[in-house]
Amino acid sequence: MTSDARASVPRGRRVAKAIRRPRPHIWFLLPAVALYVAFFIVPTLASYWLALYDWSGLGPLGDFIGIDNFRRVFEDGEFRSAALHNVWIFIALFVMTNTLSLFLAILLDRKSWLRGPYRAIIFLPYVLSPVVTGFIFEVLLSPNIGVLNPGLEAVGLGSLQHTWLADPSTALAAITVALAWQWNALATVIFMAGLQNVPPEMKEAAVTDGATTLNVFRHVTLPYLAPAFTVVNVLLAIFAFRAFDLVYVIGGAIGAPNGATLVMGTVIYGNAFGKGSYVDTTQMSYAMAQGIVLFVFLGLVSAVLLVYLSRRERRVY
Amino acid sequence: MSVASTSPQGLRRRRAFVAWVGSHGVLIVVCALVIAPIYFLVLGSFKSVEEFFSAPFGLPQHFSLDNYRRAWTEASISTTIRNSAIVTVSAVLISTVVSCLASYAIARLPFRGSLALRLLFVGGLIVPVQLIMVAIFIIMRWIGLLGTLGSLILVYSTFGIPLGVLVLVGFFQALPKELSEAATIDGASDFQTFMRIILPLSMAPILTVVILNGVWIWNDFFIALVLSTKPSVETLPLGILNFFGVYSTEWGLIFASVVLSALPVVALYLLMTRRFIAGMTAGSVKG
Repeated sequence: MTSDARASVPRGRRVAKAIRRPRPHIWFLLPAVALYVAFFIVPTLASYWLALYDWSGLGPLGDFIGIDNFRRVFEDGEFRSAALHNVWIFIALFVMTNTLSLFLAILLDRKSWLRGPYRAIIFLPYVLSPVVTGFIFEVLLSPNIGVLNPGLEAVGLGSLQHTWLADPSTALAAITVALAWQWNALATVIFMAGLQNVPPEMKEAAVTDGATTLNVFRHVTLPYLAPAFTVVNVLLAIFAFRAFDLVYVIGGAIGAPNGATLVMGTVIYGNAFGKGSYVDTTQMSYAMAQGIVLFVFLGLVSAVLLVYLSRRERRVY
Repeated sequence: MSVASTSPQGLRRRRAFVAWVGSHGVLIVVCALVIAPIYFLVLGSFKSVEEFFSAPFGLPQHFSLDNYRRAWTEASISTTIRNSAIVTVSAVLISTVVSCLASYAIARLPFRGSLALRLLFVGGLIVPVQLIMVAIFIIMRWIGLLGTLGSLILVYSTFGIPLGVLVLVGFFQALPKELSEAATIDGASDFQTFMRIILPLSMAPILTVVILNGVWIWNDFFIALVLSTKPSVETLPLGILNFFGVYSTEWGLIFASVVLSALPVVALYLLMTRRFIAGMTAGSVKG
């Protein structure tokens, strides 16, 4: 981008400009760069440095232990099971995104006087905070005041009643449903925006040539949706592997019940700031090492998705 | 009917009707699944504790605002909503102004390293907050800002920059070069060109950035959880979560405070649904 822009300005004029106004852009850039360096770059670099120490986060910096914290991350059963929970959430939402959300977007792409209200409702969860969403699902599924159990009873499925969030075998699934409820909004919007890039002439031409609805979708719509698939699935990876707020509201830093709802985000928080009991000790350096592992992991997943999906984009265009 | 279904035209019409019913059916079911939890939340906010058990699906006997009144005072919603408003407005303002300035320089004032700088800013979008917040906590404690609204404002302003740069650089680059060249020939400085020519044309993407960052900051929980170390600087999401623990059986009260916390953003969303939806896609698809 830079080189193009430079090349388009004749050299003489560029030099004259530079002499007349030396580096005017500094004043445009300074505020953003100053903030970004102070509260983004420095903390990021500090994390890499502090992760090499044995430090609780309080008092003087502990001993330099090199990569021991990182070695420990890979031997940590709690972190591994939390990572598997993230993977589970990602897979479940991946399936839902690329089927249900896509299908909804297609239905919403049709002209109808109800389209406005449908859209407004389906996207509503996006503006609710994860704390609100987590709370809503916690009470809906609550054995005391919830409505899911009485609801099952009312339709004659009383035998399916369950303490959803207290049972380790269903708690993570319940949280995944809450995450899906919120995530579906953004996924549908992005697919819908992608559908607007499909030129209607192409569809009409295919129909004129006798293509069935399914064929039009497979050979006309789907190729034009390739960029939307890339964006949705990369954002989903970020959403699923960085999950924290909603999971913390329901399961806390201990991943109640019995660690069944721990994800990488809540494990890191628990190690850095304590798990809520008074006898806790914090392990900030170790938490930073875990954070770095999460970052690298997320980077790899995003890169794989980007490479795979954008290769697909190139193939279909 | 039997005649209609045997002729090809009738068959097509009938098929279209089935598809019409099917698609509206699916959409209505999904909309119901979205609305139902919100409906129970709002309904519950008017109920007394007994009514939760006696009539889990029913309407409350009378719609009293008692829960709301108590939430405002006892749950200190009045304090946390004020904190959230101060933090959100200041951080959105700072973040938007600095992102606009930086994006303008990156997009329209060519300099060495502008691409690298752009990537550095936008790359911030994938760094996990869980990692960076531990170090930010330590830094804030070190400079003595821990437990102040200022620390929240600074961090939110900074974390809003990546999205601002992502959306605005793309937009500024797409504006015709002739616009600013004409202004330069007329003797306008870069800053004047920016203020008088570029900004007035960029209100739509700027609004997108304001909406996306505003919703995110208003709703954010994690950063507030780490930095709000005392009750007087708690923001809404944090105040509400702490409130669960204290009044764990006063369901109506908790429901009312949850509704109050979501109300400002939901009201804005319903007023400008189109803007919000456009913003959601602009923030993601341009990347």
